[in-house]
Amino acid sequence: MNCRECVDHMWQYIDGELDLASSDELRQHLAQCRECFSQAELERRLKERMRRVCGGEHAPARLRERLAKILQLY
Amino acid sequence: MTAAPGGNCQRLETPRAGGASAGAGPAVPGARNLYETLVTAHVDGLYSTARRLTRNSASAEDLVQETMLKAWRSFHTFQPGTNVRAWLYRILMNTYFDAQRKHSREPETVSADDVGEFYLYGRARDSAALSESGNPEYLVLDQVMDAEMRAGLEALPVPFLAAVLLVDVDGFAYKEAADVLGIPVGTVMSRLYRGRHALRRRLVEYVRRRRLVREEAASRTRRPEVRRKSAGDGRA
Repeated sequence: MNCRECVDHMWQYIDGELDLASSDELRQHLAQCRECFSQAELERRLKERMRRVCGGEHAPARLRERLAKILQLY
Repeated sequence: MTAAPGGNCQRLETPRAGGASAGAGPAVPGARNLYETLVTAHVDGLYSTARRLTRNSASAEDLVQETMLKAWRSFHTFQPGTNVRAWLYRILMNTYFDAQRKHSREPETVSADDVGEFYLYGRARDSAALSESGNPEYLVLDQVMDAEMRAGLEALPVPFLAAVLLVDVDGFAYKEAADVLGIPVGTVMSRLYRGRHALRRRLVEYVRRRRLVREEAASRTRRPEVRRKSAGDGRA
């Protein structure tokens, strides 16, 4: 696998969407290519941060109260 | 290369606005307990996603309320063993898109600027300019503020925002996201990748803009010092 192919499939790899054989091939390339390895690390960190920063909010208590009241009505 | 099979969620049938969702909830004994057990656990996740989609908390609360009401009214159609989370997110997305269609005749268009190749990728990554400027990837990741990341995501065109939200933030597999959005897996991948490229471009712009503002502020504070020094020199 060359760098271009590695970059092309990097997101599928990080998302856990590549088949096993292709994942192994990509992993081998990352072990040999410092530049692609750095980029993959960046993408992993970015995805992890996205999940942490853009998700994980809690529903306000007033919303939960509203939902409970509505459920009682039906 | 081929994509691995995604999640195993089934094709989800969900109510749409004004459709079969009207009417009271299911009159099945134990349905309320089952609903509370299965569905209530996802309220936080739904709210969080609604918050990013609607970009404000009041609209997010309304969207979640409508979603939960529709889920309750159609709960009798819910098949035990089905992916309840994907089912709920599909109701949420359908409700959101229906509301959007009502409020806007124009479908959301996507600017060519938003979908261009992210400059860190492809041919540009080998350019001399890139190597001279150090490693801008880490510059982006380390200097982007949390608020900028949220703003950058929320500024994406809705089709891209939905794909990025479902996969990157909510952790759905491509196949699950496709079922939630009712589109082919290939379309999810296309929207996801274009959304990610657009987001990364925005993050780079945020960092650059902030650095420019900082530099301008620094130069403004430097200039008076130079004048004071000149004036002092003149007196001496």
